Amino acid sequence: MSALTAPGQRMLAIASNTVREAVRSRLLYTLLLFAVLLICAGVLLSALSYVENDRILQDVGFAAMRFFGVAIALFVGVGLIHREVERRTVYTILSKPLSRAEFLLGKFAGLVFTVWMQLAIMALAFAAVSRVSGAPLGGGHAAACGLLAVELALVVAIATFFSAFTTPMLSALFAGGLWLVGNLTRDLREIGEASHEPGVALVTAWVHRLLPDLASFNLSIEAVHGLPIAASDLWLPLAYGVAYCVVVLVGAVVIFERRDFR
Amino acid sequence: MRSSASEIVRVSEVTKDFRPGLGLRRKRVLHGISFGVREGEIFGFVGPNGAGKTTTLKVLMGLIRPTSGQASILGHDVRETAFRRHVGFLPENPYFYEYLTGREILTFYARLSGLLRAGRGERVETLLDQVGLSHAADARLRTYSKGMLQRVGIAQALVHDPCVVFLDEPMSGLDPIGRKEIRDLILRLRAEGKTVFMNTHILSDVELVCDRVAIIARGRIVHEGAIDAFLDTGERETDIVFGQLAPEVAIALEEQRGAQLRPVGDRVELRVREKDVDSVLQAALASGASVVSITPHRVSLESVFLSAVQADAREDVR
Repeated sequence: MSALTAPGQRMLAIASNTVREAVRSRLLYTLLLFAVLLICAGVLLSALSYVENDRILQDVGFAAMRFFGVAIALFVGVGLIHREVERRTVYTILSKPLSRAEFLLGKFAGLVFTVWMQLAIMALAFAAVSRVSGAPLGGGHAAACGLLAVELALVVAIATFFSAFTTPMLSALFAGGLWLVGNLTRDLREIGEASHEPGVALVTAWVHRLLPDLASFNLSIEAVHGLPIAASDLWLPLAYGVAYCVVVLVGAVVIFERRDFR
Repeated sequence: MRSSASEIVRVSEVTKDFRPGLGLRRKRVLHGISFGVREGEIFGFVGPNGAGKTTTLKVLMGLIRPTSGQASILGHDVRETAFRRHVGFLPENPYFYEYLTGREILTFYARLSGLLRAGRGERVETLLDQVGLSHAADARLRTYSKGMLQRVGIAQALVHDPCVVFLDEPMSGLDPIGRKEIRDLILRLRAEGKTVFMNTHILSDVELVCDRVAIIARGRIVHEGAIDAFLDTGERETDIVFGQLAPEVAIALEEQRGAQLRPVGDRVELRVREKDVDSVLQAALASGASVVSITPHRVSLESVFLSAVQADAREDVR
């Protein structure tokens, strides 16, 4: 007997097919190739400096993983649901005893798994380059990669949300824009507080509350500098990321449930 | 609960409005349509392009939400999902993941339909055999012809052995042999006790397989009923060819019985109303004429369909 419930099995079928479709994308491999090349190029960049070679090497590595991880999440993710609708494969799928929520969550799970696979490859390249260059590697690096995985899952959730009702181009634009703003919301709140204007502080505080605070997932500075990382630095962003994903996916399901497939 | 003991599908006063663009203006594509499909029958849903056939089918499949009205299958509101394990659907010009093989795509749909791993493989093989795709089971779908994809579509609709099957233009893109095979398959489904709902604009197929039809024109149901009763709505005529029919008798029959007279070589053909056949034959034979042939004309579905659609169009203009 299968350990999965019927909805679980149906979502697993959608998710595994999503992975199968996503890994066929040439764009995915192109982005992955550039990511690995940039991680390796960190060796050259660090060689240009007389000091802190290890820090430069790993800063470049983390930046490459974050940038290309997000790019993969956006460019591979946003088109998948739209393509299902455009090619009308969704007609036969939704005629089966499968709810729209199961379909959407299955697609999300498949995309997250795909993105995490790419992140794992980039992290392995990062570890290999660091090891060869003699740069230190420790638990902080693993923690930073773990939270980056949560951030990428959140980006996939946001991309899924937009792709539930709009075109891939607009989804990529909205989700990419939100990712950029999400990396600045903490700074924005601090600027608002420093302005000593109650109105400005209130607005920036609400912007910080409503939009994703993606800076909370960034532990790369602590990892690269070997700074101590408290347990709360891990589980708080993890809980925040999971909660934010749930809210975004509920929104996506609500919109997708109401959509007409003309 | 089923709305009627023998009714499998019920559409009641369903209206659908679409917004053509971003504006507030709405376009009504279904105008409060109602009809029912009975258990075990082949039901033809017929209409010209743009009449609302596919929109109605999408409402039934839960792909489109009606603006108002209700639709149910097996007594369940179409917005529910669990009952769909008893429903099969073939969309028009189906598209499948082209990187999968025939066997893989059917296994995928079997998983979605909740078929257990134990019986899944056997069911997939049976279906591949039934639709004549066993030889191409391991080929990628991108190498399939349109007819083969249509067979995959039918196989996925039947993979979970549903009791009601919805087919949108099932003969579309098929050659005469393929069409014959699909017709036979539809008849076999009825023989197995399944209910078949068929969207089509190919009237000859409807005449050959359907028990009942509904005609939709510009979003309105203009006729619903048994196919035989439908074909009886027009007046039937019969062509009788006589030999040695005296000209004065032929003219008399033309004048008295309203027969249409046409000389065919040294013979005469009379087109008479079905109710006048006996009296015309008696009169002609009594005058010494001989009967060469009698050809009854069945009113075609096409002519009745055209007159129903045209009548609706005229009413709309008024």
